[in-house]
Amino acid sequence: MTSSEATVAGAGNSPGSAPAPAGAGQDMPRAVSVLVFFRDRGIFVLWGLLIAVFAFWCSPYFFKVDNALLIANAAALTALFAAGVGIGIMTGVLDLSLPGTAAVASCVCGWVLTHGHATWLGLAAGLATGVVVGMVNGLITIRGFNPIIVTIGTLSVLSGLAAVIAGGYTFPGLTQLEFMGTHRYLKVGDSFAGIPAPVFIVAAVFFVGTIFLTRTRDGIRLMAVGGNAEAVRRAGIHADRYKVLGFVLSGVLASLGGLVSTAVVTEANPNASPQIIFNALTAVALAGVALTGGRGSLPRVLVGALILATISNGLTIRGVQPYWATVCTGALLLGSLLVERLLQTAVSERLMTANLSVHEKKV
Amino acid sequence: MGTPALALSGIELHYGFVRALDGIDFHVEPGEVVGLLGDNGAGKSTLLKVMSGAHRPSHGTIHVHGVEQSFHAPSDAADAGIQMVYQDLSLVEPQDIATNLNLGQETLRRGPLGWLGFVDRKEMRRTSEKELDRLGVRTAPMTRPVEMLSGGQRQVVALARSAIRVNGESQGILLLDEPTAALGYEQTKNVESLIRRMADSGIAIVVVTHDLPLCYEVTDRIVILNRGRKVADLPTAGADRDHIVGWITGSRPSMFAEASA
Ligand SMILES: Nc1ncnc2c1ncn2[C@@H]1O[C@H](COP(=O)(O)OP(=O)(O)OP(=O)(O)O)[C@@H](O)[C@H]1O
Ligand SMILES: [Mg+2]
Repeated sequence: MTSSEATVAGAGNSPGSAPAPAGAGQDMPRAVSVLVFFRDRGIFVLWGLLIAVFAFWCSPYFFKVDNALLIANAAALTALFAAGVGIGIMTGVLDLSLPGTAAVASCVCGWVLTHGHATWLGLAAGLATGVVVGMVNGLITIRGFNPIIVTIGTLSVLSGLAAVIAGGYTFPGLTQLEFMGTHRYLKVGDSFAGIPAPVFIVAAVFFVGTIFLTRTRDGIRLMAVGGNAEAVRRAGIHADRYKVLGFVLSGVLASLGGLVSTAVVTEANPNASPQIIFNALTAVALAGVALTGGRGSLPRVLVGALILATISNGLTIRGVQPYWATVCTGALLLGSLLVERLLQTAVSERLMTANLSVHEKKV
Repeated sequence: MGTPALALSGIELHYGFVRALDGIDFHVEPGEVVGLLGDNGAGKSTLLKVMSGAHRPSHGTIHVHGVEQSFHAPSDAADAGIQMVYQDLSLVEPQDIATNLNLGQETLRRGPLGWLGFVDRKEMRRTSEKELDRLGVRTAPMTRPVEMLSGGQRQVVALARSAIRVNGESQGILLLDEPTAALGYEQTKNVESLIRRMADSGIAIVVVTHDLPLCYEVTDRIVILNRGRKVADLPTAGADRDHIVGWITGSRPSMFAEASA
């Protein structure tokens, strides 16, 4: 194969003349790599811009360590649920049952704790709830049913179940969960108040999750199932098992989110708030995770959640009414869609012309 | 003749009310290349998918090297040494070439990280590159996502994946659904010689194609389907082109006694 081996390379770009950008773009012209960078990393740039804007506009209150921790803490819950929704979408399933899973998990945990059992048992029971819900969602879906409808069904079932477990009330006074709620760690005398527990949990979840999705066999296959489940099946892999795994992961993350919210308010509440899923979806959409699956990355989802928290924090500092925050995020989301489309078109155009005009042989 | 590498008998398959395959008998010997011909919609891809375990026939039996098999999924067929290149290529678009080539057979890192399921991307890239060189096919760099490849490059990746896997089998069977449809002249020639080389090493190959010259070039035997039935099965050497076209279009009556007619 010689003539048809044309590799995409910048005109006049002799091999090695330009430092090769890492990742997918090793052999692409500079302009394309820059565009691809903005397409894939644009959300980080956006967040940086927002921080810069607020740092000036809300000076001197915004750009402070304490405020950064406030933002991180405020983003933590959204980030956990966004991780659940995000992993689901990347692996090809949209799991709408997350608020229900969170409510049941927190009520199960509340029930176990108020009946005098150990804290770890309550938490384990809560997380196990997530696993079970994920399995049920997954096993129904792989029978060929639409995941959206299935998870709407389980959402309804779960919200009812949570109320049943709680017996129409809530489980208040769960102070034993404070260590993963309002407690702060790494305190330094009076100068530094410490980092809130949820921030650690989120950091751990995103770190492990990112490594899992990008470096391990099961993670890579999970993403591949999101990209093209039939192709994965034809490659001799039990694609269905990975679909179920996707649901289980999103269920576990939802239950973790439920447990952390419970810990923060030391009360297990059976109300499955749909706001959870909307915030999470907004963060995921901001992160540019394609709803078609197989694409996206957890760090971007995290930044998506941080952007939401940053906006509402900055506006609160300026005393702007909170509903303007939702207006802003919505507008931002629509704007980012537009920019992404523009970048994508630009990238494909460049690649096309590069493909047509350069028939440099690779030796 | 010894036992066929792959033998199907009385295969029937329905898509809802459409009878896509009707009582097909088919076999291929180790080291033999069989060309499967037929008009659009004749059932060629469907028959190949039955052989690869992607579809289950409603009737009929499948023997691999003399052992009866019942495939529930492509993984079962892969375990029996059967690899297929699908017409709709079955690559994962967002992932790079190396990942696609290794899908399902990933190399894990050595040591504790490997036990945790960490993959060795570098090693996978290296071996994939080596395998491609050995096959004599080259495409884009290993780290290029498949969605950025041309149609021909994708076809080469899909073909290489199956070829690499089937080469690891002593008694492999390779099914190709229009492997050269998107290829230029030179790459087609490369694929032709690749098919011949693999057959010479004892691999049984079934190739579906609309390209008659290619068929004459690489196949030992030709099987022709028409509307889900086998209408001809003859050695390529000495086969008359007009007869073949006649069987494909249906203007020439079947070679076999029409039981139902
Ligand atoms: N998934 C499906 N559902 C329903 N009918 C199908 C499906 N796939 C194929 N068919 C029908 O089965 C018949 C055989 O299709 P098949 O794909 O095997 O044809 P083919 O010989 O490979 O044709 P081509 O040369 O166009 O690839 C056709 O009539 C087609 O309409
Ligand atoms: Mg076909």
